[in-house]
Amino acid sequence: MIGEAVAMLHGTQNRDGGWPSSHGRASSTECTSLATLALARLDAGERAAADRGVRWLVACQNADGSWPLHRETGTPSWTTALATLTIASITDEPSCAGRGARWLLRQQPRTPGMLASLVYRVAPQARVVQLDPELRGWPWTSGVSSFVEPTAYALLALKRLRPRLSGAEVGARIDEAERMIYDRMCRDGGWNYGNSAVLGADLWPYADVTALTLLSLADHRGRRENERSLAALRRMLTQVDSGLALSWAALCLSAYGQDVAPLLRRLHLSWTRTHFLADTRSIALAVLAATDGARAVAP
Amino acid sequence: MTSGLPRRAFLSGALVSAALAGCSRPARWDRSVVHQGSRSRIAIVPARDYDDRLVEIVLRGVRMFALDVARKTVVLKPNFVEFDPAGVVNTHPALVAAAIEAFRRAGAREVIVAEGPGHHRDTEHLLTASGLYGVLREARARYVDLNGDDVRAVRARSHYTGLGELYLPETVLKADLLVSMPKLKTHHWAGVTLSMKNMFGCLPGSVYGFPKNVLHWAGITESIVDINSTLPVRRFAIVDGIVGMEGNGPIQGDRKHCGVLVFGEDPVAVDATSARLMTIDPRRVPYLAEAGRFLGHLAEDRIEQIGEPIDRLRQDFTVLPSFAHMKRFA
Repeated sequence: MIGEAVAMLHGTQNRDGGWPSSHGRASSTECTSLATLALARLDAGERAAADRGVRWLVACQNADGSWPLHRETGTPSWTTALATLTIASITDEPSCAGRGARWLLRQQPRTPGMLASLVYRVAPQARVVQLDPELRGWPWTSGVSSFVEPTAYALLALKRLRPRLSGAEVGARIDEAERMIYDRMCRDGGWNYGNSAVLGADLWPYADVTALTLLSLADHRGRRENERSLAALRRMLTQVDSGLALSWAALCLSAYGQDVAPLLRRLHLSWTRTHFLADTRSIALAVLAATDGARAVAP
Repeated sequence: MTSGLPRRAFLSGALVSAALAGCSRPARWDRSVVHQGSRSRIAIVPARDYDDRLVEIVLRGVRMFALDVARKTVVLKPNFVEFDPAGVVNTHPALVAAAIEAFRRAGAREVIVAEGPGHHRDTEHLLTASGLYGVLREARARYVDLNGDDVRAVRARSHYTGLGELYLPETVLKADLLVSMPKLKTHHWAGVTLSMKNMFGCLPGSVYGFPKNVLHWAGITESIVDINSTLPVRRFAIVDGIVGMEGNGPIQGDRKHCGVLVFGEDPVAVDATSARLMTIDPRRVPYLAEAGRFLGHLAEDRIEQIGEPIDRLRQDFTVLPSFAHMKRFA
């Protein structure tokens, strides 16, 4: 599988050095970050492609330290965390990653205001969603509320860079974001996009988001919530066979010191069935998972 | 999730905003999007089950309209939000298969299936678990994940959200005909989710987040209206009402057999008719009440039923208590 997947990554890399979500589209920061991270772990022959990916990322960084979704859009985006993580993991270019981290630390997600906070404190059962509205993580887009997946990416980036970041606010922000994530955990463990219940009805978790989130919390592996969510992930993995979910799960379980060989065999089978719909993100994560990439991303 | 606001506060705020907006009366839509024509034609076609008669039924429904799709690119936009093995969340894959075949028989050059799932980023899981992947392979039809498609900023042609412009996927912008294929469902924020709400899936999650939460902050009613008035593509709708969802839709409601497909070109008239099939007064659904002012026809006497009459196929869909007023016909 790895050989075919790597060949597919080479085949989809754009002439500008970035990777698109699938063949023929514009390069995106998310896909370029993940493909670069994956190929950088391979031998020198593959590193040339990864180096072009790094150059694309460096060239696309905005003056404020953020990254856009695509070079053409320019607007700062959630993919800043992924680009920061990638550069911090594989290059000796601290200024780029540091500026990305500082942009992340400046982001303030939207909170629903005093009235909603008051209702949460006084009568939490009256709210349509059961979550603490004041806990800040990171949003998908500036000006809206925190969600689990962008917060998990930001945690991975900030934890990797933490030794190089100064200021008490770094630890405080990481701590608050972790509390936000635990607050949004589903009843039986695991996470979806960021809501455990709506209008009193429990929502179910997703395997890919749960694995990613657990990965970002791997430095808290002894916590009861992590154990419950790992159990939830194992249950979900009996139902899910996608490249995205299996790859994140292999990275996650590897970071928790568990045997991932059975998952990698399933990943191989899944590849033969669907080729992961030629989705660059899934292919890159599969390469990363198959090359013990947890060490490149886990805290 | 919509926002952290409690429902009552949210609705009160929306009413105050609407009242204030009414005082100043800014131009809320461009003249270019005002619906033309004094009447709209809608077809309600019985379809008891998801069986192999569907292709003929869909083809018959499509041919009731003067849709020239010969040598054109048709994009089918079903509703695939997330997968629940016990639920009826998504447009049935058999209906998507039937629509692919029907539009091919009608002469389309290419039929593409495209969706930007609202909750789930794991498209491969959604497609394989739901059975849509098998349908696409069998039909050799191309699927585009709109959440990751290339996008272009398009100036909004109505101005309810204040977003100013919308990022729309190239696959949708290049279509000759965009076919909304929603499930007939109730919705715990919007009242109902039909062909117009289904267009949320045209806006990429990479830009608008999951579950398209930028649009939730901008207002669901407001976003539905702005998206539908801004899409610069010819539109058609096929509503999957064979088995719908009542109660706590769009995810956790209960199945409701209704045995119909609804066809039409005017999205407001399609949704108004679909709501009436659910015994819901479309005039009490905020997005329909607003869209009915300029984007299409809402009033029954402006909608010509060219298939079965509503009364023969109407079902009593239950709604959440907060939407009980929608069941009282004015």
